[in-house]
Amino acid sequence: MSDLAIGGYTAAAPAAMRVAEDYNMEVVKKFTIAAMFWAIVAFLLGVVLALQLAFPIFNLGFEYTAFGRLRPVHTSAAVFAFGGSALFATSFYVVQRTCHARLFGGETFANFIFWGYQFFIVMAALSYVMGFSQSQEYAEPEWHLDLFLTIVWVSYAIAFMGTIFKRQEPHIYVANWFFLAFILTVAVLHLGNNVALPVSFFEAKSYSIYSGVQNALVQWWYGHNAVGFFLTAGFLGMVYYFIPKQANRPVYSYRLSVVHFWSLIFMYIWAGPHHLHYTALPDWAQTLGMVFSIILWMPSWGGMINGLMTLSGAWDKLRTDPGLRFSVTAVGFYGMSTFEGPMMSIKEVNGLAHYTDWVVGHVHSGALGWVAFISFGAIYYMVPILWRRAGLYSAKLAAWHFWIATLGIVLYITSMWVAGIMQGLMWRAYDKFGFLQYSFVESVNAMHPYYVIRMLGGVLFLTGGLIMVFNLIMTVRSAATELRPARGAAVVGA
Amino acid sequence: MHEQTGDFVVGLLVFVLGLVGLVMASGALDDGMYVFGLSLAGFAVVFDLGIVKRHFDRIDAARATAEISGGGHV
Amino acid sequence: MFIRHETIEKNAVLLAVLTVLAISVGGIVELVPLFTIETTVEKVPGVRPYSPLELAGRDVYVREGCYTCHSQQIRALKDEVERYGHYSLAAESMYDRPFQWGSKRNGPDLARVGGKYSNDWHYAHLTYPQAMVPESLMPRYAFLSTRAVDPVKVARHMRTNRAVGTPYSEEQMANVAADLAAQADPQADAEALAKRYPKAVQASGNSRVATEMDALVAYLQVLGTMVDFTNPAVENLRQ
Repeated sequence: MSDLAIGGYTAAAPAAMRVAEDYNMEVVKKFTIAAMFWAIVAFLLGVVLALQLAFPIFNLGFEYTAFGRLRPVHTSAAVFAFGGSALFATSFYVVQRTCHARLFGGETFANFIFWGYQFFIVMAALSYVMGFSQSQEYAEPEWHLDLFLTIVWVSYAIAFMGTIFKRQEPHIYVANWFFLAFILTVAVLHLGNNVALPVSFFEAKSYSIYSGVQNALVQWWYGHNAVGFFLTAGFLGMVYYFIPKQANRPVYSYRLSVVHFWSLIFMYIWAGPHHLHYTALPDWAQTLGMVFSIILWMPSWGGMINGLMTLSGAWDKLRTDPGLRFSVTAVGFYGMSTFEGPMMSIKEVNGLAHYTDWVVGHVHSGALGWVAFISFGAIYYMVPILWRRAGLYSAKLAAWHFWIATLGIVLYITSMWVAGIMQGLMWRAYDKFGFLQYSFVESVNAMHPYYVIRMLGGVLFLTGGLIMVFNLIMTVRSAATELRPARGAAVVGA
Repeated sequence: MHEQTGDFVVGLLVFVLGLVGLVMASGALDDGMYVFGLSLAGFAVVFDLGIVKRHFDRIDAARATAEISGGGHV
Repeated sequence: MFIRHETIEKNAVLLAVLTVLAISVGGIVELVPLFTIETTVEKVPGVRPYSPLELAGRDVYVREGCYTCHSQQIRALKDEVERYGHYSLAAESMYDRPFQWGSKRNGPDLARVGGKYSNDWHYAHLTYPQAMVPESLMPRYAFLSTRAVDPVKVARHMRTNRAVGTPYSEEQMANVAADLAAQADPQADAEALAKRYPKAVQASGNSRVATEMDALVAYLQVLGTMVDFTNPAVENLRQ
């Protein structure tokens, strides 16, 4: 195999490209492009929301641009549009390559999954802006959209599982266990949480069969596991494939993979009640949620250790491979978030943190540091392979992306830690006469500088994303990254 | 052959979805349902036309390679 | 383990089934008792379903995403009870579909906002929050005053609520339009309304037609007012 050095990034022409015709990589390419598109949309919306919180005039007095309507557009774009497309792309890439089988169901079926999912994303976003929302976090789409998504999701499950069934390789690779758990669990959660009676077949409005405290726990059984399975298990699937691939090392420990997998998926489900501490949720449920959230720290760090230790003997690659740098840093942020989470689940800590910006900071260290970074790492790796280029257009740009984005994350989370803890302390502060010291609006006022810093952090993260988009476009189109056939290797495409 | 059955089944199901969209839009009691119904119908039309296009593209491509690899039947 | 993991790894169906079993346990243990244990939602006198105008207002609250900045759940914490009032009881949100306890306070908790401010204050604040609270981050909702509430739609929404378990009576269902009109018009006779929906607050908007603004204010003004915390008579505490 010949080595081709492009912009400082040395790539060996992957041998597997010879069998590229055997896999359906068209759908993977589509989802990869979609992931980057929605990433920019999500980051941009995040900046807009941050701007509105720092300077409310930017709500514009217009019903379609009010914070309350735009917020779910941002969260859906980040989690489902960006995160979801990245998961579709990588899960389809990984399942085909590790099973040595073409995606089950055929090309049209795969196209339906892609375009159906994009249609769902666009319609959901449009519906929120138009004023149709169930106002349940990460389950905002109304009943008709929920049903449509179910059709797409079932198709996804069929395509994914069908590919596993027709595998040539007897063992199911560990990454696929995580993708499978993610697909199946999200289906259960989606169906369970969204049971609602539409007002009419012709109205985009429904009422949940659950109400009050029961609705609360069903929602957070769903909501926390949207994080646990959509944003964790699925992306761990990426870790288990792309890190060993990029590092060119085997996964650190098979036994740890097994223990990690089963303990993680079993324990995550119980953690929901930590969103409801000191509320009208019964105490027994709160305590159960708290205990399991704390124990959850262990499988989470097991996964982190497994991912990081895979780099044993290959740490030097962090200096030369910018994509790998993203993936490994992602695992580091994963460890941080999965330590912070259990800490915040302790009732006494939660008493301070709940309802404050500390939660927002925690969410974004996970969303930006873990989810986005592991996606970037996987996409930087996949794009040259998918489009049969010699390598990334510019390793230097990828490095710039890394440092700018990391700085953005640091600004974001530190400003939110300070803001959140300050809010919590101000709300519970008593003066020397025994009266509450601060009015609520005084705490709002105190947030302003941190909201501005947070917005700057978001701008940096968005800038990094734009750099990545440019780099990837150039990778695909530039003459500099054209693949020259290696001496003695089979001609690609014949 | 497998391709064609796959195409037909998915195409038919999407067609049904499109009809559902039209029905929803026709009786829509609010803007949300109206926009969704029409969009779903539009999606179905474009998607199914896409299936038809690729079907004929495949035939054309097969014909082209047959010609290249030594004047096969047309 | 009684099954070697290798066996699971080579069998997709087994892997899928065991995965679904593993993820089902937590949900079942935590969710099922919440529906079967009666004391999860203790019966509290005073709690009633929302009136037509209040329900229309709640629909506005839900669709505008107000819960993204306002919580509706006072925790059992000293400073919180002092700032907002008695901690929230499960019964107080038992007819809330969906629940709107919220996760974030960019604005204050609203669980007991009912009666704390006058109608006029609410109209002014919703129209232009910064006029009442200069440091407020809230968007302007003036457009709500230009949109009428459709009684036919509200009746449909109440019917659906009843179908999923909210105990609207026959009398309440038969008088939707009348109660909507009575609550929206400050000049109207509210006696029948008050009988069917105790503590319902009449709107004080300018037009005779119920607007979404009237509805939202009516909803806000009833929040946290249904339960009488000043009279903890023993009978009221017994389940």
